[in-house]
Amino acid sequence: MNSKMTNRIALSVIIACAAAMAAILVSMLGYILVQGVSSISWHFLTTSASPFLAGGGIKDQLWNSFYVLVITMLLTVPIGVCGGIYLAEYAKPGRLTSFIRTCVEVLASLPSIVVGMFGMLVFVNYFGFKYSVFSGALALTVFNLPVIVRVTEDGFHALSRHQKEGGLALGLTHWHTIKTILLPAAFPSILTGIILSAGRVFGESAALLFTAGLSTPDLDFGNWNPASPNSPLNLFRSAETLSVHIWSVNTGGIMPDVQTIANGSAAVLVICVLLFNLFARMLGKVINQKFSGK
Amino acid sequence: MIQMEKNIVSFTNNTVTKELPIQIKVENVNIFYGDNHAVKDVNLPIHEKSITALIGPSGCGKSTFLRTINRMNDLIPSARCEGTIGYKDVNILNPKIDVVQLRKEIGMVFQQPNPFPKSISENIQLPLRFAGVRSKKILKEATEDCLKQVGLWDEVKDRLDRSATSLSGGQQQRLCIARALALKPDVILLDEPTSALDPVSSSKIEELLLELKNSYTIIIVTHNMQQAARIADYTAFFYQGELIEFGQTRTLFTNPEKQSTSDYISGRFG
Repeated sequence: MNSKMTNRIALSVIIACAAAMAAILVSMLGYILVQGVSSISWHFLTTSASPFLAGGGIKDQLWNSFYVLVITMLLTVPIGVCGGIYLAEYAKPGRLTSFIRTCVEVLASLPSIVVGMFGMLVFVNYFGFKYSVFSGALALTVFNLPVIVRVTEDGFHALSRHQKEGGLALGLTHWHTIKTILLPAAFPSILTGIILSAGRVFGESAALLFTAGLSTPDLDFGNWNPASPNSPLNLFRSAETLSVHIWSVNTGGIMPDVQTIANGSAAVLVICVLLFNLFARMLGKVINQKFSGK
Repeated sequence: MIQMEKNIVSFTNNTVTKELPIQIKVENVNIFYGDNHAVKDVNLPIHEKSITALIGPSGCGKSTFLRTINRMNDLIPSARCEGTIGYKDVNILNPKIDVVQLRKEIGMVFQQPNPFPKSISENIQLPLRFAGVRSKKILKEATEDCLKQVGLWDEVKDRLDRSATSLSGGQQQRLCIARALALKPDVILLDEPTSALDPVSSSKIEELLLELKNSYTIIIVTHNMQQAARIADYTAFFYQGELIEFGQTRTLFTNPEKQSTSDYISGRFG
């Protein structure tokens, strides 16, 4: 077999792999969307779920998903970005640094159901936050934090050494160099990473089963006082998210239109995650252009 | 043949008529990277308001030495320095000095143009703002002044708010020099500032440096011997970490004392 032949075989194998990957994605997405899109309607999106009767919607679940996502991001982004900056800029190679890095990696690879159990024991029971938005967001923080740390660290490492030297050589302090030069330059890639991780958080279910709970009180969307028990903004009420809803409806739903609700919810979830991805790409592109000159 | 090459070199710009006062005095400087002894026992005077060129083959320690003068080598964890570099009655190598202040007085321009991915004016104003300048008027004037000093003003005055990365390589490098001038340093270090540029941009930078030496002390590392011969008043030849020879550029090029200097400038190695 000559080298030309080998080359051709390698090329076809690689193309076949890529095609298989694309085929899996397209068929899965297509299946979910075809099954579910027909059940999505304004009514479906803006009606509360009904436990027994047909015709329930996913209004509360959709809201909960976004609310948990926002709280999680408020918790993870500041801590994660600071941690990433520490690892990229300040940490000196040594035992402590490699220990921290191992911690981040282990944290990132924890099975989410384990994170959920941990969240139930620590946040729900020990700290007494109950099944709540806050417990759920804390559990999601545990597994989203390492992602943000990694994204930030990679964003900084991708910058050229010359930028940092340029700042320091101008008599800027290390922190000022980070704040005014490195962080803005790394911002597009960090932001893209954050939005992509938001997609993952949005679709997470296992970690939320035991932390955010399987039910939602009757939310009054006219009541925006965070302290009131049926306010959508209340942090300490239970909050079933969309992906948890899909699971619970599928396993124990007793309403007659279980299948429709599950399909519709799945489609909404997938569409949201897709939108996050598209949004991340577009934003990354726009910001990149803005930085690299018109 | 070798003789002829020597004659091509012209010394139009750099006849030192009288010895200029010494601004930086380098004494017994040794630099190590871990176990690697990169610079060995260097003694060297740097004269005020003149251009001193550091030449030598790759890996001879000239860049390492240059980066020690404003302590940029602090960024490399394994680097270690011994000896004294005297500047304004302080030893630059003293670990206790304020490195940030030092770098305001001894600026640096790098081989690769490294403008920040910000607007042209922001590139110049950033160090000033950090130094505490708040007045918009002063910032604007400083921007214009610095850009004029490097001959970039007429080329960019209509697009000061455009990204600095949209400039050509040569313009970027002149912007980096302008940025270094903003803090009104005493000394400017240049680490092969033209090696990433085309010949036209390079000669612009050379002309610029000849002008700047009236106000600043300039130390330049260069791979290009013709460049050293054209612009430097003093030249130091480094080889394998040692300072082989130092003197007025004309003397060093036309009448070198050491055989290896003569071999290097006549192109026999390096």
